[in-house]
Amino acid sequence: MATQTPAVVMDNGTGYSKLGFAGNDSPSFVFPTAIATKGPGGGGGSAGSGRPAVGNKPSFLTGGAGPTGHLSAKRGTEDLDFFIGDEALTASAGPGYGLSYPIRHGQIENWDQMERFWSNSIFKYLRVEPEDHYFLLTEPPLNPPENRENTAEIMFESFNCAGLYIAVQAVLALAASWTSSKVQDRSLTGTVIDSGEGVTHVIPVAEGYVIGSSIKSIPIAGRDITYFVQSLLRDRGEPDSSLKTAERIKEEFCYVCPDIVKEFARFDREPEDRFKKYEVKHPNGRSVSVDVGYERFLAPEIFFNPEIYSSDFLTPLPTIVDSVIQSSPIDVRRGLYKNIVLSGGSTLYNQFGRRLQRDIRHLVDARIAASEVRAGNAAKSGGLDVQVITHRRQRHGPWFGGSLLGQTPEFRSYCHTKAEYDEIGPSIVRKFALLGGPGST
Amino acid sequence: MLLLDYQNVLIESLLKDRFSPDSTPSSIDQVVSDFDNVTFHISTPNSKTQILISIAVKCYPELVKYGADAVLQREYGPYIVAPEQGYDFSVQVDLENLPAEQEEKDDLIRRISLLKRNAMAAPFEQAFDEYTSLAEQASHYTSETAPQGVREGGEVRAIHYRDQEAIYVKASHDRVTVIFSTVFSDETDRIYGKVFLQEFVDARRRAIQNAPQVLFRNDPPLELQGIPGLQSGKDKIGYITFVLFPRHLTPQRRYEVISHIQTFRDYFHYHIKASKAYIHSRMRKRTADFLQILRRARPEAEEKERKTASGRTFRVQA
Ligand SMILES: Nc1ncnc2c1ncn2[C@@H]1O[C@H](COP(=O)(O)OP(=O)(O)O)[C@@H](O)[C@H]1O
Ligand SMILES: [Mg+2]
Repeated sequence: MATQTPAVVMDNGTGYSKLGFAGNDSPSFVFPTAIATKGPGGGGGSAGSGRPAVGNKPSFLTGGAGPTGHLSAKRGTEDLDFFIGDEALTASAGPGYGLSYPIRHGQIENWDQMERFWSNSIFKYLRVEPEDHYFLLTEPPLNPPENRENTAEIMFESFNCAGLYIAVQAVLALAASWTSSKVQDRSLTGTVIDSGEGVTHVIPVAEGYVIGSSIKSIPIAGRDITYFVQSLLRDRGEPDSSLKTAERIKEEFCYVCPDIVKEFARFDREPEDRFKKYEVKHPNGRSVSVDVGYERFLAPEIFFNPEIYSSDFLTPLPTIVDSVIQSSPIDVRRGLYKNIVLSGGSTLYNQFGRRLQRDIRHLVDARIAASEVRAGNAAKSGGLDVQVITHRRQRHGPWFGGSLLGQTPEFRSYCHTKAEYDEIGPSIVRKFALLGGPGST
Repeated sequence: MLLLDYQNVLIESLLKDRFSPDSTPSSIDQVVSDFDNVTFHISTPNSKTQILISIAVKCYPELVKYGADAVLQREYGPYIVAPEQGYDFSVQVDLENLPAEQEEKDDLIRRISLLKRNAMAAPFEQAFDEYTSLAEQASHYTSETAPQGVREGGEVRAIHYRDQEAIYVKASHDRVTVIFSTVFSDETDRIYGKVFLQEFVDARRRAIQNAPQVLFRNDPPLELQGIPGLQSGKDKIGYITFVLFPRHLTPQRRYEVISHIQTFRDYFHYHIKASKAYIHSRMRKRTADFLQILRRARPEAEEKERKTASGRTFRVQA
């Protein structure tokens, strides 16, 4: 086929990396953003100066001696001795390897590890020669420009990638929602609620530009909900309360209810219907059965009533969303209320969007009513349309948005190329033209 | 990861997942790249239980010329279906009609995930066969009396598998020569590449007598004389020659050798890139160490004594 090679789309999240090719409707690979290296784990990027142990010589100088690589045993190839993703979890369970997560709170903290993570992503999993492909990478909101430059340095100088575009996850998440029938115009104005593994961000976007001063983040996300499920399993003394089991139960059984008091009553009324069992299969062939109870609706409830989980963060998510929009410029608020888009794995709970929409609507209606009273009922407001968009691509929203935009004919012209980078240097990536904005297809 | 995998990991893991007894069939539609201008389409166009895997290879006509049809027929026989539109070759597996034994299932997964490897193996297999027959003929002659064809060896098989890069394979009665032309898109890469190749050459001299002989040059080697379309000279392009001797060409080693050698170009460029990544991490470490020294060296506030240019000291009045 004489056609162009597809763009490589990589969305590296705090918890999971989503990797694949533009044009597909799902990533080819989703695995933990984890790396297992020789020696004890870093525990995370922030340990010390954030550098892993480095061997003495690059592998080719020491004995990556090609087709007959048995020299490698004698001479160090430490820099190539690592695993990423699920393989990293497996390797670190045994002796000799330590596990690290190079991304913290959405931002890359350990560049050595990240560079190796990318190297393996590209050569082992995606199997592409980076010189043949354009790359679309994502970044969290408020990513410092130095991080972009570091990323460009690695992509262009180590990997010689043909071209690079770095997009803000929230903007891609908006583009991903275009597949929903509820979205009539392909606008890049809206409020994105991106909840993944480590943080939940509420990000107002006006015509493709993030309103940075109004962003709020909440320290409650997937990992916390997993912990909460785990603590409930432990309290009940279930036969298996590992993190993995807690996570599986969370993803399979949890949902958001309209009213917890009524939901408790419902469990008492229809126990056979509401209580579930989860079979944990052990590799040795045995399996145990874990009861699943109130955590089904209690766990995601911590978004709406944080006090049941945390003592220092107490503001419910709907209130945060409302205040984010209220702190944005007045002329875009209508658009921000009308298009509240969900994104990320921790927004997948059944009825999550509906509850959010109801609660935000209550807040808005109450405020309008109050101001009408103050105005002496003289000015009746037309009300404000609050709409939360739940859609089929929300799980990998940023990745899917990247896939959508990365396959457009003009994508390449929005990228910076290797030649431009060589001429101007890393600062070139401080600015990108807005992909998917007005005027493009 | 020292060596690149020969198989496509996505195909392998997808099939593994779908072949397992407790998986529920669901639709798949992925167009993915692989090295060397290869594109795969993995899909379930008819029903969720029928997985169609198609491959497009830039140099497919050349592979066919060098016997790909027979190789693919041998490897995929009953699974071959008419090639999907836009692709060169397709196989289909029916999840409701899989081999009974786990071992056979694993073998099928392995085979299909090696689709690219097997298609690209054809010219090598052909050349290896040709070597065997030339060696057999040559054994009847002394080097002087051997007829032209036997002495000279066979034709050069050219596989233009990338836009500007090709593999050339030529069989003789005592060796198979494999030549890669490769392009360095970057000045730095060329330097790393040279060091890397020198390592190959040294490795052979040092210990690994079994390794194939490796030669590197910037213009086309003698074996390629008269081949059209060769780019020559300058630093951007390089020719890497591997000489495979009879000990590499035995039936037992054939499979491994072919797998190895056909991934050489990508392996080479992967290592160049990994080495740059490695140097980068050294540089980051140095910078971090240096900053730390600077931080420690920050003058204390009470430092009073200073020297003039001529070496006399004086005290700063606080
Ligand atoms: N169906 C689901 N229901 C609830 N949570 C889920 C579901 N699927 C995935 N998750 C959770 O989503 C989180 C990962 O989301 P993701 O958006 O990929 O995170 P990040 O981008 O921060 O790495 C994990 O905590 C995971 O447990
Ligand atoms: Mg994310």
